[in-house]
Amino acid sequence: MLKKGDLLLVAVLLLLVAAGYFFASGRTNSSGGRIAVIKQGEEVIGTIDLEKVKEAQRITVSGDYTNVILVEKGRIRFETADCPDKVCVKTGWLTREGNIAVCLPNRVIVKIQGENDEIDAVIG
Amino acid sequence: MKGTKRLVWLALLVAQALVLSIVESWIPVPVAIPGVKLGLANIITIVVIVFFGWKEALSVVFMRVALASFFGGGLIIFLFSIAGGILSACVMAFLYRKFSRIFGILGISIAGAVSHNLGQIMVATVIMKDIAVTAYLPILLVSGIIMGCFVGLCGNFLIEALRKTGYFT
Repeated sequence: MLKKGDLLLVAVLLLLVAAGYFFASGRTNSSGGRIAVIKQGEEVIGTIDLEKVKEAQRITVSGDYTNVILVEKGRIRFETADCPDKVCVKTGWLTREGNIAVCLPNRVIVKIQGENDEIDAVIG
Repeated sequence: MKGTKRLVWLALLVAQALVLSIVESWIPVPVAIPGVKLGLANIITIVVIVFFGWKEALSVVFMRVALASFFGGGLIIFLFSIAGGILSACVMAFLYRKFSRIFGILGISIAGAVSHNLGQIMVATVIMKDIAVTAYLPILLVSGIIMGCFVGLCGNFLIEALRKTGYFT
């Protein structure tokens, strides 16, 4: 049942995972503020500077489904959603740069970028 | 195996795969990451690849995904599942046909689980139009390895048990 190639496959995959983490950790810089970007498909719905949020506010995103996004000072999350899996709500608060939460059925993504994160903005 | 008998077996296997994917949706997964799931229906895909062939495996996967998204899902969920399902069935069938001397059922299942996740991430990147979703890739690789091991073990037991019945060769 277990052959040599199986172990080799697992080893190669684990190596890829390690490389992925290494690559990801090298990309995040801890400088400056945090900008939350809310997108639905290609359309940018909102860009919020999380440091400057004074009062909690709710943003409703509609489409095939409806998501309610809650913004507080320094953090953002999907509060409620009527999609079937609710993965976006279970993701919880996003606080750090590089954090993302997605609602695939409604094509909504919330991500936190650094203040000078121009490269990400171009690709996105 | 030919004709009506083969058709009945394949229909039964589609039904079983469908039940497995429904049962799976009742089992809570502790991590909130899109695409992390058990992939129990893959057990059936492996069995079909071993006892029937790649064409049958592709049609069983297509039927299962179509019916599953009909019962609960929708168009976007269908696109995700079909991309992952077809890619993983192709990869597993290819490995089984060409490289079964190198890879056992366990390795084939792991490759299937990982390629399922890769297919989903590719569709997610296209649908979301955002490269940021690839951040989920490492964790999806890990979950693919773990779930692939489990599914491969189940598939292996099932294949041995089915061989003993004498219906399949």
